[in-house]
Amino acid sequence: MSLWKEFAKGLWDENPVWVLLLGMCPLLAVTNTAVNGLAMGLATAFVLLGGGIVNSLLKNVIPHKVRIPCYIVVIATFVTIADYVMAAYFPEVHKLLGLFIPLIVVNCLILGRSESFATQNPVHYAISDALGMGVGFTWALTFLGIIREIFGFGSIFGVQVLGDWFTPWIIAVLPAGAFLTMGIVLAIFNVLKSGSTSEAECH
Amino acid sequence: MELLLVFLGASITNNFILARFLGICPFLGVSKEVPTAFSMGLATTFVMTTSAMVVWFVQTFILEKFGLPYLQYVAFILVISAFVQLTEMAVRKISEPLYKALGIFLPLITTNCAILGLALLIPLKGYSFIESTIFGFGAGVGFTLAMVLMAGMRERLAFADVPEPLQGAPMTLIIAGMMAMAFMGFSGMIAM
Amino acid sequence: MSKGRGLIVTTSPHVRDEDSVTKIMYNVVLALLPALILAVRTFGLHALWLIITCSVTALASEALAQKLRGVKVTINDGSALVTALLLAMSLPPNLPLWVAVVGTVVAIILGKQIFGGLGYNYFNPALIGRAFLLASFPVLMTTWEKPFVDAQAQATPLGLMKMEGVATPYSDLFMGSVSGSLGEVSALAILIGGLYLLYKGYIDWRIPLSYLGTVVIFMTILGEDPIFHLLAGSLLAGAFFYATDMVTTPITKKGRWIFGIGAGILLVLIRIFGGYPEGVLYSIILMNMFVPIIDKYTVPTVFGEVAK
Repeated sequence: MSLWKEFAKGLWDENPVWVLLLGMCPLLAVTNTAVNGLAMGLATAFVLLGGGIVNSLLKNVIPHKVRIPCYIVVIATFVTIADYVMAAYFPEVHKLLGLFIPLIVVNCLILGRSESFATQNPVHYAISDALGMGVGFTWALTFLGIIREIFGFGSIFGVQVLGDWFTPWIIAVLPAGAFLTMGIVLAIFNVLKSGSTSEAECH
Repeated sequence: MELLLVFLGASITNNFILARFLGICPFLGVSKEVPTAFSMGLATTFVMTTSAMVVWFVQTFILEKFGLPYLQYVAFILVISAFVQLTEMAVRKISEPLYKALGIFLPLITTNCAILGLALLIPLKGYSFIESTIFGFGAGVGFTLAMVLMAGMRERLAFADVPEPLQGAPMTLIIAGMMAMAFMGFSGMIAM
Repeated sequence: MSKGRGLIVTTSPHVRDEDSVTKIMYNVVLALLPALILAVRTFGLHALWLIITCSVTALASEALAQKLRGVKVTINDGSALVTALLLAMSLPPNLPLWVAVVGTVVAIILGKQIFGGLGYNYFNPALIGRAFLLASFPVLMTTWEKPFVDAQAQATPLGLMKMEGVATPYSDLFMGSVSGSLGEVSALAILIGGLYLLYKGYIDWRIPLSYLGTVVIFMTILGEDPIFHLLAGSLLAGAFFYATDMVTTPITKKGRWIFGIGAGILLVLIRIFGGYPEGVLYSIILMNMFVPIIDKYTVPTVFGEVAK
């Protein structure tokens, strides 16, 4: 087990979004623009890291029977911090992400990593894993955000990349478009991965 | 009449899964067979309705009264976990086979973003106690409806020759997209 | 088409030989001809281009998809052509051709091929194409033209009724001098085709009867003009051509009644209370979602089987 391997797996082989299929709710909701996807990814990564570290450090202190509620309380605390920081320094993004910031608390990714990894391993591995998952999650969200923003607005991060000739496909920023885009992108990734033997877990 | 609108809004026009993107994890995971999907929907509806009531109390009599808005997330999630525990115990007592069938999904209702989302929406919308309860109930009904419809389709999908890269989650997501497109027909209807 | 009893492993169409699917499909094409010809006469050459574009795109995408899937290319069975024509019929006459291409590709690929081809899709492919276009390009998809006059905008009869309370004479609706999508123009043309299919037994009478009947009944109850609603918009087309698609509608007789009634109720709700002036599209695809459940729970009990 190496620090690098634990980090790198989250980027592709065990990417939380494309492979583990975790964190779907925020994924579909906030990826209507690239900047929203990026912001949500970073916020989640922050909580993942903070929660992972604390839970890992406390793993011997928390009684086994009540461990899930305890993890959740730790995670909820970090989410509260992230929420207030974003509200203070990035109010526009905070408003756009809205309800989905507190919903990071129940992002199966975070609880899952705490339960299955952070509390089973020493802190430095927990950090590696959290960082890898966080980066993997962030790039996946940003990627989807870019695609939907191009189709829905003709822009990337607010910068018009398609000219006047382009008629926006409104569906891209609607719920239906979120589902369709995610499904199609996932299928494309499956085609790309069909060489390797990793299993797609149906969560 | 108002209450009917709250119910219809929560269940149909702003369906939690297809319009609000809440509850996607169970939607993808538990929607393979109709009976299971229906049971999950029922359990979720129960938790949603009861949590809605308790959340309203907590919000009104604790958080607001003592000025502790920053404890909202922690408080709500604890309430929800407690209720899921309760539901789990109740289901186990009432029907052992049902308990076995739902398996891991019961505790997973805790992390169902739909429930926490519901909890957070209630203070945001400023609903009264009755309105909150109806809202929770409606949300559950809509959730169950989407789950059951998806399960019906996925059951038949097992016989189809779906191209390999699309099998599983991609197909479910694309079908969900079509369901979302269909539900767009209800837009504008709540101004009844 | 076999009736729902006994060992059903797949859904309809149940083909013993490829000829029967083909026969049905080309008869549907035949039944659509009056409406299509009238559409071209009313709206001019661009309408013809739309029809051709949809057809060619449909055949090409289906062939491509089947090649990619590694299955036999069956574009000459007529089903892709029917989808193309049904989609074309639902488009506004002055729609840019590229939009029609997008819609057709969505209809064939997403609406049909990814499910495993003919017989496995849940949603009517043409309607999925239309729903997609409506969601993506709402303005382009709801700009209508005055019949017989080039490039002059005019609202549809349903739009006029909903937004301004203006009624349109029955004769206009019946014979074809109203604006709307290519297939909405003339009730008479649709009826001719629909009755032909009924007479030949290619569609089940239960669906048009229950769909149209429910609409008439509820519209009357709500105090709306039932004849107007029957003739306006694409209700007749929906009842005879879209809601009778054998793949996406129930197999069982009881199921078909449920489907028609459900669609009728939804249509009335959307036309009267919803945000859109027309609801045929949504009424049908919403009911499409229920078909697996309907089929599952309306299977008639086999003699001797103990009721659950």
